[in-house]
Amino acid sequence: MKRRIVVIGAGIAGVAAAWSARRRGCDVTIVSAGAGASALGGGAVDDVPWEQLVRSSRALGLVPRARPLSDDLHAFSNDLGAWSLADDRLAWVATIAGRLRPARGRDHALLDFGALGGARVMLPRAERASWDADAIAAGLSDDPFARAHRITFIAADVPVLRFDEERRVADGDLALRHDGEARLAWLAARLIDGVKHAAANAVLVGPWLGAAGSRSEALSKLVGVPVGEALTGVGSPAGQRFEAARGRLLAAIGARVIDDRVTEIDRDGGALAITLRHGASLLVDGIVLALGGLIGGGLSYEPPDHRAAADLPSGVRAPFVLSLRAPVTLVAHVGADPSTAEATSSLHGPDIDVAAWPRGDRPGTLESAGIRCNGARAAEGITAAGEVVAGRPRTALEAAAAGIRAGNEA
Amino acid sequence: MKTSRPPAVANAIKPKRRPEVDVDVIVIGGGVNGVGVARDASMRGLSVALFERNDLAFGASGNSSGMIHGGLRYLTYDPQVTESSCRDSGHIQAIAPHLLFRIPFLVPVDSRRGARILFELMDGFFEAYDGYQPLKRGKSHARLSADEVRKLEPGIAGDLVGGMTFDEWGIDGARLCTENAIDAIERGAKVFTGCTVEQIQRRDDTGEVLGVVYRDRTTGVIGRMKTSVVINATGAWAPITAALGGLPPERARVRPGKGIHIVFDRRLTNYAIAARTIDGRQIFLEPWQNMSIVGTTDDDYYGDLDDVRSTSEEVRYLMQGMARVFPQIRSARAIGTYAGVRPSLYAFGPSEDNLSRDHKIVDHTRDGAPGLYSMVGGKLASYRLFAEEMTDVLSELFGRGVPCATHKSPLPGGDAVCDALTLATRLEIDAVAARRLVYRHGSRAERIAERIQQRPREAVTVCACEPVLEGEIRYAVKHELARTVADVSRRTRLGLGACGGMRCAARCGQIVAEEQGLPPREGLRQASAFLLRQAAMRAPALGPEQARQDALGIASMRAELGVDAEDAEDRDEIEATAKSSVEATA
Ligand SMILES: Cc1cc2nc3c(=O)[nH]c(=O)nc-3n(C[C@H](O)[C@H](O)[C@H](O)COP(=O)(O)OP(=O)(O)OC[C@H]3O[C@@H](n4cnc5c(N)ncnc54)[C@H](O)[C@@H]3O)c2cc1C
Ligand SMILES: Cc1cc2nc3c(=O)[nH]c(=O)nc-3n(C[C@H](O)[C@H](O)[C@H](O)COP(=O)(O)OP(=O)(O)OC[C@H]3O[C@@H](n4cnc5c(N)ncnc54)[C@H](O)[C@@H]3O)c2cc1C
Repeated sequence: MKRRIVVIGAGIAGVAAAWSARRRGCDVTIVSAGAGASALGGGAVDDVPWEQLVRSSRALGLVPRARPLSDDLHAFSNDLGAWSLADDRLAWVATIAGRLRPARGRDHALLDFGALGGARVMLPRAERASWDADAIAAGLSDDPFARAHRITFIAADVPVLRFDEERRVADGDLALRHDGEARLAWLAARLIDGVKHAAANAVLVGPWLGAAGSRSEALSKLVGVPVGEALTGVGSPAGQRFEAARGRLLAAIGARVIDDRVTEIDRDGGALAITLRHGASLLVDGIVLALGGLIGGGLSYEPPDHRAAADLPSGVRAPFVLSLRAPVTLVAHVGADPSTAEATSSLHGPDIDVAAWPRGDRPGTLESAGIRCNGARAAEGITAAGEVVAGRPRTALEAAAAGIRAGNEA
Repeated sequence: MKTSRPPAVANAIKPKRRPEVDVDVIVIGGGVNGVGVARDASMRGLSVALFERNDLAFGASGNSSGMIHGGLRYLTYDPQVTESSCRDSGHIQAIAPHLLFRIPFLVPVDSRRGARILFELMDGFFEAYDGYQPLKRGKSHARLSADEVRKLEPGIAGDLVGGMTFDEWGIDGARLCTENAIDAIERGAKVFTGCTVEQIQRRDDTGEVLGVVYRDRTTGVIGRMKTSVVINATGAWAPITAALGGLPPERARVRPGKGIHIVFDRRLTNYAIAARTIDGRQIFLEPWQNMSIVGTTDDDYYGDLDDVRSTSEEVRYLMQGMARVFPQIRSARAIGTYAGVRPSLYAFGPSEDNLSRDHKIVDHTRDGAPGLYSMVGGKLASYRLFAEEMTDVLSELFGRGVPCATHKSPLPGGDAVCDALTLATRLEIDAVAARRLVYRHGSRAERIAERIQQRPREAVTVCACEPVLEGEIRYAVKHELARTVADVSRRTRLGLGACGGMRCAARCGQIVAEEQGLPPREGLRQASAFLLRQAAMRAPALGPEQARQDALGIASMRAELGVDAEDAEDRDEIEATAKSSVEATA
C-alpha cells in the first residue's frame, strides 16, 4: 500500500509538500481552510527577507547576491509555473511605495529591473487610489539602485482604464479583465502609442496584468518593450495567480483536495487520526503541518486576558495557540531567546511591548512564534513547514523549500 | 554675578517695546496653552513668535482624554471653578462648534454597603452641577433605576442600585491646537514647528530677557530671535525650559503625571461609562469620535518626554478596572494606545490623583529673570481662560488696553456651518468622508472642497479607516504646518484605524515629500518611522485580531518598504551600497 500523507494547509508550503510527497510516490491529500499568506503576498519571492540581505551585504561591503537554490526548488517552481527564478542573479522589483528592492525571484508579471540597465521606464497615469504615477515615478527615480543603473522613470498620460468605473474597482478585478485577449490588445495599442510618445523602452503598470496567470509576457510581446507590474504589499493579484497555479499543479500531480478545517490530530496505534470539522476523519501514516502563521490563521495570539471577562484571567494559558490540537510544542521569541510559548510567569501573558515587531536582526514575537522543529520534524510522524514553524524567515522560498523537505520526510 | 534680590530694573523696562527686538513676545511650546496665548496676544496687536520643538499638540494636548469638561470635580470645594469651567466650555463651543461633540456619561452605582446613601448623595451632587449645565448647553442629569441603566447600556455588569447620567463635551485636542495656531498666524504670528528653543538669553547684569537661540531640528540650522518677553508654555517640559533660561528647574516645577489611553476600533457604547480601578481611581470608557477610548492612568513619569510609551502593565490595569463594569471590553478589539504627560501643579506627597489640575502663571522677575513667564498646569478645557490671564499680563506690560476677545471670535472653520451631505454630492465622495472632513475643518472644509474640484484626483481616499482624502493631506501640509506623516496623522487622524497605517503611510509620505519638494525617500523614511512608532504603541494592547493584522502589517511593510528602523534612519549608507553595487557590476 502506498504511504498515506495528509498535508494540512494549501499555501506555498503545503503545495510544495504535496508536490514532493507525490514525487516520492505517496498518496497525498491536502486539506485547507481557505486563503492564507500565500494568497495575500505581492509576488516577490525571497529566500531571506530582502532587508537582511541588503544589510548583511552592506556590512561586508559587498553587492547583494543571489544565493544558489536547490534543484528541487527550481523544479518545483517550474512545475508551479507562476514564478521566474533565475539561477544566478537577483531580480529587482519596483514597489508601489516607490522603492526598488532585490528579490530572489518574482511572480512572472512583476517587471524585473535587474535586467534593465539604462532604461527609460514609462508609468501610465491612472486615476486610481493606489496609483499615483507621478509620485511613484519620482520615488523610483530617486532610488539609489535606479540612479546607479541610470534607470529613469516618467509618468505619462496614457489611457489604461477603459471604463469610468475602473477608477474604483479592486486591483484584482482590473487584473481579471486583462485575462481576456481583446482587452489585452486594447491595452497594448494604448501602450504602443504611449511608448512612442515618451520614447520609453519599458513600461511599469499597477498590479493589473492577469488573475488566472501573468499577462505580462504576452503584453510585452504586443508592445515590443518589457511591460510589467509594480509590487503591492498586500492584496495583489499575484496572490490570485498563485492560487490559480496551485489549482493547476495539484490537479496535474493528482493530489486529493479537501476544503475543510482540521480540528485535531491524535495518535491511533502506529497511525495518525485527523479530525475534520465537517468531513469524516482520516487515518494516515504521515502529516505535514503547513498551517501558516498568524496571517494564514494556523497560529493565533490570544493572551489570557482576552475574553477573560472577569477580574482575573481564569487560569494560565499559552498566549499562542494552533488552529488545531496536535502533539507538538510551540515556541516564541519574546526577548532575545526563543522560549516555550506555553504559560509565562505572568497570569496575563507575555509582555510583548517592545518585542512584537522585528527590529534590526531581532525577529518580532509575532513572526517568530510557531512549532518547534528539528529540521522538518515536529513530532513522530509529523513534519511542519512554512510560517507555522518557529524562528524561520517568513518568505515564499523558505516556505517552498521547507515544504519540499517536509514532504520528503513525511 | 547675579544678585538674589530682584533687580530694580524690573519696572524700569516698561513699556516693553524696545526698538531692537524682532518680536514683542516669544512663546515656547505649541501645546494648547502656547497656541492659546499666541492667538490671544496676536488678537490684541502684539507681535508674536512661537517655537515648537516637535509638532503642535505633540505633548499632553494631543494625547488627552479629549474632554472639555465643566469642572465637575471642583463642585464640592470650589464651585466657582466649576462655574468658570462651564462658562469656558460654552465659550469654546461657541468659537469651535464643529470640533465639539456631546459625550453623555453613565455612572452605574453598584449595590455595596452604603450604596443607597451614595446614590442619594450623587443625585444631589449632579443636581448642583445641573445648575451650571446651561452655560455649556449641557443637559440635566438623570437618575436611573437599575433596569433603566441596563436598558441604556445592556453590557453593564454587577448588582446595581441604579445610575446617573450627566453631560460633557468631547473635542479633538490636536485640531484645537492647529486651529488656534492657524488663527494666530493669520493675525500675524510666526509659528515655527520642529524648532526647539535651546537657550533663553538674558542680560548678565539685569537678568532681563534678550531673546532665544533656537535650532531647526530638521536642518540643524541655528537661529537667534530678539525679544523682551518669553513665555514658557512647555507643559511637562516646563522645568527643562526654565533651565534653558539659566533658572533652577524647580522655578517652573510640575509634577509629571503620565496617562495612557487604550483605543478600540469602534464606538462600543453610546454612553461614556465610568468605572473604578483596583486602587479606587475613576476611569471611563468613552465613545470618542468614531472609536472608543479607555482611560486613564496617572503615574509619576521621569522618562523621555519626546518618547512616551504605554506598557502592557498599564493596559492590564485599566482593562481590569473597566471589565468589572463592562465585561465585554475584554473581547473588544483594541487597535492601539496613546500616552501623554500631564503638567500638574507640583506638590510633593499626595497621591497623583489628588493633585490639582489648576494652573498658575509664574512671573520669573522674582527669580531675577524679568520678562520670563512660565505657564504651569492647566487643562485643555481651561486653555482659553489660562491664555487670557497670561495675555492680560502682557497687555498690561505693553500698555495696551485691548480686552480679550478669544471667546467671541470664532476659530478657523467655526464661523459657519458646512453641510456634509451637500459636500459629498458635490465632490462625489463618500458621505462619511465628507462628515469627517467637516468635523475637522468646519466651514474651511469648503477650501479643501475647492481644491478638490480643481484637481479631481485629490478626491481619492488615501486612508480608508478614518477616512482621509488626498486633498486634505495636501491642505494640511500647505496650510496647517504639517511637515511629516506623523504631523498629518495628528491633524487628520490618518493611519490611526485598525490597519495601523499599513495602507496609507507610504502614500502619505509620497504626498508630504512632494508638497515640500523633499526627496521622495524622505517621505518613505517618515512613513517607516510612523509605522514603527504606531506598532510600538499598539503592541501592549494586542489581542487576536489585531495581532493578525499586525503580522500582515509586518509582511506588507517589509514587502514595500522594508521593516528596518536603522535602514529608515540611515540613508547615506544605502547610497554607498548602491554605488559599490555599480562599481562591482561595472
Ligand atoms: C502581505 C504579504 C506580503 C509578503 N511579501 C513577501 C515577499 O515580498 N517575499 C516573500 O518571499 N514572501 C512574502 N510574503 C510571505 C509569504 O507569502 C509567506 O511566507 C508564505 O506564503 C507562507 O506560506 P505558508 O504556506 O507557510 O502559509 P499560508 O499561505 O498562510 O498557508 C496556510 C494555510 O493553512 C490553512 N490552515 C490553517 N489552519 C488550518 C486548519 N486547522 N485546517 C486546515 N487548513 C488550515 C490556511 O487556511 C492557509 O490556507 C508576504 C506575505 C504577505 C501576507
Ligand atoms: C492622559 C491625559 C488626559 C487628559 N485629559 C484631559 C481632558 O479630558 N480634559 C482636559 O481639559 N485636559 C486633559 N488633560 C490635560 C491637558 O491635556 C493638559 O493639561 C494640556 O494639554 C497642557 O497643555 P500645554 O500646552 O501646557 O502642554 P503640552 O500640550 O504638553 O505642550 C507642550 C509643548 O511644548 C513643546 N516643547 C517642549 N520643550 C520645548 C522647547 N525647548 N522648545 C520648543 N518647544 C518645546 C513640546 O514639544 C510640547 O508640544 C489630560 C492630560 C493627559 C496627559
